[in-house]
Amino acid sequence: MTVGSEVKTCYATLKSIEAGLDLLHASTTEQDLKTTIEEVSQLIKDARHDIHQQVIHIDKQEPQYKS
Amino acid sequence: MPEWISIIIRSIILITVLFFFVKWLGAKQLAQLNIFETISGIVLGGIAAFHTVDPYNSFYYALLAMFVWFIAAFTIEKLSLKSKRIRDFTDGKSTVFIQNGKIMEENLKKEGYSTDDLLQKLRDNNQFLASDVEFAVLEPTGELNVLPKKENRPITLKDLNMTAAPDKEPQTVIADGNILLEPLANASLNPTWLEAELEKQNVTVDNVFLGQVDHKGQLYLDLYDDHIAVPEPSQSALLLASMKKCQADLELFSLATDNPQAKELYNRNQKRLKQAIERMKPYLKA
Repeated sequence: MTVGSEVKTCYATLKSIEAGLDLLHASTTEQDLKTTIEEVSQLIKDARHDIHQQVIHIDKQEPQYKS
Repeated sequence: MPEWISIIIRSIILITVLFFFVKWLGAKQLAQLNIFETISGIVLGGIAAFHTVDPYNSFYYALLAMFVWFIAAFTIEKLSLKSKRIRDFTDGKSTVFIQNGKIMEENLKKEGYSTDDLLQKLRDNNQFLASDVEFAVLEPTGELNVLPKKENRPITLKDLNMTAAPDKEPQTVIADGNILLEPLANASLNPTWLEAELEKQNVTVDNVFLGQVDHKGQLYLDLYDDHIAVPEPSQSALLLASMKKCQADLELFSLATDNPQAKELYNRNQKRLKQAIERMKPYLKA
């Protein structure tokens, strides 16, 4: 695997984590957990955004590996 | 009136009266009854028994006697709720046997406890060494309650400075193949959700002996057919695992790259993930 595809996998995992958190947020009735999930969700969102920029950057650098 | 009919009628009436009197006296546990409540209970039963089998006694006397005993017990109970002094008198006081790790010999003597009795009671509470006990008190019911010294107490999350997610009681939503609507509503879920969840696990309601939902909304099932394997809910464990994997990946990237800008970016996000894991860990652990 190239570095690009590895970073892309990581980006996908981040998206899956965000979805999992949303699911938990929807299914729980506990207010405490809900607020924690909201905060953590924001962290993950920031990270996802950063990695997305990185994915674009890598694609630009090595267009021959673009997928 | 033949005697047997009279006995039947008396029995039925006295059973009813006794039932209501006992109900009004309160539903305390038998073990928690104080001396007076125990005696009045026995006397009420005795009066009822005596007058049921003896058809020649006046029936009204029975009712009168039971009524007086009931009133007495009832009044004392209500009074003792109001006043601490009366409560001390009727219920008795607790006696301190061990304080600050020292045995109170005077109190032992007052309650008629020998060293062996005390040691036996301590052993009942899993304390084999008297010096391990910080505080022990003999309740009016004759029970000894023991507070071990701090270092001998079981360790708690508070001692470890750890936080745990608050835990709510699980709800039983399926019993004997029937969906229970009220507990389902208590967990703020609906039958449609339950049906979807059952379909996901590929079972029918009829086959479920017991189904419970925990506070995270995860469904645990026990089937009539024990040969079918039901997967344990693993959503939250999976989520935590993927968060950990992602964090490890980012850490790896930041070590692998030579570009200082990329290094900084990976590192920053790796730290975010780490923080996220710390926050979610108490909730996601099974």
